Amino acid sequence: MDITLRINGETRTGSPEARKTLADFLRDDLELTGTHVGCEHGVCGACTVIVDGRAVRSCLMLAVQAAGSEVTTIEGLAPDGELGTLQQALWDSHSFQCGFCTPGFVMQATAFLRAHPDAGEPEIREALSGNICRCTGYQSIIDGVLLAAERARQS
Amino acid sequence: MTGIVAERYTGASIKRSEDPRILTGTGQYVDDVKLPGMLHAAFVRSPLAHGRVLSVDVFAARELPGVVAVLTGADLEAMTIPGQDPLFAMMGGGGPMPEYSLLATDKVRFMGDPVAIVVAESRYLAEDGCELVEVDYDDLPPVASAVFALDAASPAVFANLGDNIIGPHKRNEFGDVAGTFAAADRVAEFRIDVHRHQNVPMEGRGCVASFDADSGFMTMYAATQSVHITKMGVAMRLGMEPDKVRVLAGDIGGSFGLKIGASREELATAAASRALGRPVKWVEDRSENLAASGQAREESFDVRAAVSNDGDLLGLDVKMLLDNGAYPVMGTMVPGIMEMMLPGPYRLAALGFESTAVTTNKASYIAYRGPWASETFVRERVLDLLAKDLGLDPLEIRLRNVAPRTDPPVMMVTGRPLVGVTSKESLERVAQIVDIPAFRRRQAEERARGRYLGIGLATFIEAAPGPRSPEGPSGPMGMEFMRLMLTEDGVVTLFTGQMPHGQGHQTTLAQIAADEFGVPFEQVRVVVGDSAVVPFGLTGGSRSATMTGGVALHGARQLKGKVLDFASHLIEVSARDLEIFDGKVQVRGDPASAIPVGEVARQAASGQFADDVDTNLEVEASFDGGEGGWSGGSHCAIVEVDIETGIVKVERYVAAEDCGALINPAVVEGQIRGGIAQGIGAVLLERSAYDQDGNYQSATFMDYLLPTACDIPRIEIAHLQTVPLDADVNFRGVGEGGMIVAPPTVVNAIEDALAPFGVRIYEQHLPPARILELIAAGDQAQ
Amino acid sequence: MKLPPVEYVAPSTVSEAVALLAEHQDEASVLAGGQSLIPLLALRLAHPAVLIDINGIAELSGVSAPNGWVAIGATTREYVAEESATLAAAVPLLAAALPLIGHEAIRSRGTIGGSLAHADPAAELPAVARALDAEFVVRGPAGERVIPAADWFEGYLTTSRRPDELLVQVRFPVAGPGTGFSFQEVARRHGDFAIVGLAASLTLSGAAISDARLAFAGMSDVPLRATDAEDFLVGQRPSASLFDEAARLAADNTDPPADLHGSSDYRKKVAAALVRRGLRAAADNAGERQ
Repeated sequence: MDITLRINGETRTGSPEARKTLADFLRDDLELTGTHVGCEHGVCGACTVIVDGRAVRSCLMLAVQAAGSEVTTIEGLAPDGELGTLQQALWDSHSFQCGFCTPGFVMQATAFLRAHPDAGEPEIREALSGNICRCTGYQSIIDGVLLAAERARQS
Repeated sequence: MTGIVAERYTGASIKRSEDPRILTGTGQYVDDVKLPGMLHAAFVRSPLAHGRVLSVDVFAARELPGVVAVLTGADLEAMTIPGQDPLFAMMGGGGPMPEYSLLATDKVRFMGDPVAIVVAESRYLAEDGCELVEVDYDDLPPVASAVFALDAASPAVFANLGDNIIGPHKRNEFGDVAGTFAAADRVAEFRIDVHRHQNVPMEGRGCVASFDADSGFMTMYAATQSVHITKMGVAMRLGMEPDKVRVLAGDIGGSFGLKIGASREELATAAASRALGRPVKWVEDRSENLAASGQAREESFDVRAAVSNDGDLLGLDVKMLLDNGAYPVMGTMVPGIMEMMLPGPYRLAALGFESTAVTTNKASYIAYRGPWASETFVRERVLDLLAKDLGLDPLEIRLRNVAPRTDPPVMMVTGRPLVGVTSKESLERVAQIVDIPAFRRRQAEERARGRYLGIGLATFIEAAPGPRSPEGPSGPMGMEFMRLMLTEDGVVTLFTGQMPHGQGHQTTLAQIAADEFGVPFEQVRVVVGDSAVVPFGLTGGSRSATMTGGVALHGARQLKGKVLDFASHLIEVSARDLEIFDGKVQVRGDPASAIPVGEVARQAASGQFADDVDTNLEVEASFDGGEGGWSGGSHCAIVEVDIETGIVKVERYVAAEDCGALINPAVVEGQIRGGIAQGIGAVLLERSAYDQDGNYQSATFMDYLLPTACDIPRIEIAHLQTVPLDADVNFRGVGEGGMIVAPPTVVNAIEDALAPFGVRIYEQHLPPARILELIAAGDQAQ
Repeated sequence: MKLPPVEYVAPSTVSEAVALLAEHQDEASVLAGGQSLIPLLALRLAHPAVLIDINGIAELSGVSAPNGWVAIGATTREYVAEESATLAAAVPLLAAALPLIGHEAIRSRGTIGGSLAHADPAAELPAVARALDAEFVVRGPAGERVIPAADWFEGYLTTSRRPDELLVQVRFPVAGPGTGFSFQEVARRHGDFAIVGLAASLTLSGAAISDARLAFAGMSDVPLRATDAEDFLVGQRPSASLFDEAARLAADNTDPPADLHGSSDYRKKVAAALVRRGLRAAADNAGERQ
């Protein structure tokens, strides 16, 4: 099926099979491998992207369902190489280790902070409880998101 | 010369150089590798725990458009050399060698055992092809428990072994076991079980094998903890010259012991690539990872403890039964380390240890972060149980038994010296941070209100790498190697066999080398992940801080010596009077004389110097661990148990740790917290469950439950003042400790919470339903 | 875990969708949010011939409040329902359950109709629908029919929707004055399916209970109303001992499933505890609604 959609601000087209997930379409057809596949059944959150303003699990959407939508992936957050506030705060906070879960966390946190810029730790923990990290024990990630929120408020 | 020359970086939480690519999605993991003409593999896997394979019909699968090849176990036998798993071959423990084919031919031995490989234009089509392969199985009675495996009536999982004993029963005694037990005031007996759980990195196993028919060269893009061990495994099993195999690894999404060597699936993928002359990618999906990649920790222990009425732990006599699963990988290596480590940092006078490992129809027992960790679980559980029997406080019994730091050091009854161990200090520190008496008051108040809080303590030591021994190099796997060079761009490059998968080596090693050599952090590059270019190495056993940190330090020092020796020909001053400061060679204290190191390297490469001048600004360094040392600490958890639902919340978690000198505190703390999270997960959530027929039941993330941000509290970490043992290298490993000591810490806290109900806990996995059962049983027992 | 081959069609009206269902019957699966269906396909537990994607049917989305009911279009996203002030005011029990469904990313796509048509007995919405006697509006080739919740849930993942019918709307009665509510859940982790869940509603007239609803998630192959306990409560005054007895009645005659997460006996104990907690909470907030 031919589809047209906007990815990271650019119009892109493709012809995915109906059964191909949005995650696989991004990675294979569009070669945007920043979105990672961790479980393929919607639990781990590694594949999280933003579709029409909402964080979604791209392994639970068919690519054809994203036709006409605005999709933002991890690659779309720092297109010119300059890290955004959230990414910088996560770097400063040593938030991640192996990095496999990272794009999903960054996209989920991006969507969450846009909607809840004044969230505190309990809300952030709950908002990120659908993303699994096996390396960090989460504290460094929470600290990075809190730091990002604080810096965004100050600027 | 003691310590690092100028510690600008070492000891500071320098931001990781890995992070810009990780945070922007530009890392390269094995599934991101895309080669021209690349095909995709999927495996047909056994739905049975135990069965004979009567026939494998691949006709329909081969005919499916998009399927390029289907290779059965028989096909692959013709293409490969028989052998054992590389880890089992390296560390097997000397037991019997089972005979089996790369993919199943005559038998399947666990649910998920690979039977055939389907190679197609896409993973989607490969899976479609798998559904079309028809395998005719004859069910065999499953050996679904270690106890049944011991029974002579159980069918042999491996025909050539005759029975299911893969780690033959062995008993060792240290000290006077019989005498100690005979003379003790009390001998207590316990049966303790540790449940099966597993690594579950967020990225599973995978590889892209690319065989070039013209050159006969195999390039493997791998996710591995050692490119060299993977290379050796591939070369050996494919019957190739090692020089014709190159293993490349980029970013790796975690491993925790899973990705070592070359799995049967990776070898099959490589053989398929060679047969087809095209690159073939295999990346396991989550159900494969959970069911087939391997699991860990399923052991049961019969423990006898000899103790005085005052609480002196005099002796332990432990019998272990380990469920090795079917194809052996790591299970038979673990008992030896457990035995050595059982005494921990305590003044134990006698230890008896015997173990048997059996094969069952389950996935392989593999290495998982601190593979020997159950020694700490058993010991720290037993101490609490004894304390209760004797009316002692858990802190009190530990302080009573912990070995003092003496000179010469107290010897563990199993032979290693407890040199530089700060266990007593860590216990006192964690107790002070938590304020146990205040907690006890709060606990009593809350109990009166019907809320059940508990506190648990545990302490451990880890040979990371362990103290220097007379026999030779410290630590497992011996010497560590590194090649260092200075190039004309002014960059110091370190080539290491370490294969980071979250540990931040490209940052930490650069910190050490930058300090020792004298360049800014940005002028050090750490090269990993190419078997053609890096020396032998393995990331594992918590070795890298000492072994690789040490070889980086000494190597950088040697390289600096070479550079200064050469520079003395440029500046015509004795090398003794030269230094490297902020990336420049200069006469000590004379910045006007400074020459950037890049310029020095350009001069060295210019060919202008006499033959007797060494212009090769490169060193091959090695390090044996120096004085080595122990790593360790004490942890404390406060939990609340909802006695109506069995839900446990970890309210507070404190760790007092000693991993020697810290290279990068943020990296250290990340490792500790990650390990603790896995330990909490093991107790409250994670179980690799098999039913009585050997059917695996935890094959999705809805059944194998990993802890989330709502399950892990803030973890407070206190760093102890370490006891330096070595003139230069006092970094010790910290990767595994959190996972080793967190399970008993949490279980001890849960038992303490449930003390009013008379609960005693002899197991590690405590899901809500089990908590209610324990309460009901405890109530009845009282 | 790649999806098996499947045809895909995306109708833009209900009539088109119904015609497709009439054509394909059991061979078709309706794709709404996909949060339950796509994992089933990824695990290759289901092999439908056709996916009928109804996300593009505009009339199926939206929350409205005609006469004493709140009507929710079948493809209304869970997050939209969660943010609906109308719904929060009129059906507070539903509003309380919504944030417990999975995680935010799941609710970005998951739909009210999809969850109820999937009918997982451990899910939150079926218990709420059953507690409140929601009504299910389906449309087939012969026209529309309205199915009460008691008749909607037939068995494990099975509803009384015929293969040629499309669920178009679910409606919930507006909570009356003096009604309190509570949604209780025990799950292994935040966001997981309930091991046991309880949708509880209590109406007080004066000092006595005039209506009681208790519907369990996770206690059977369908959401389970504890009618014995409900009957027992009506006419009585709230008290701790009353709620204890109701809890015992509610849990006693159940035969809950056993699985990796809990034995049957465990679920019964938890069910009783949740009834005590749920009734206490519902009684506490019953006074707030006038």
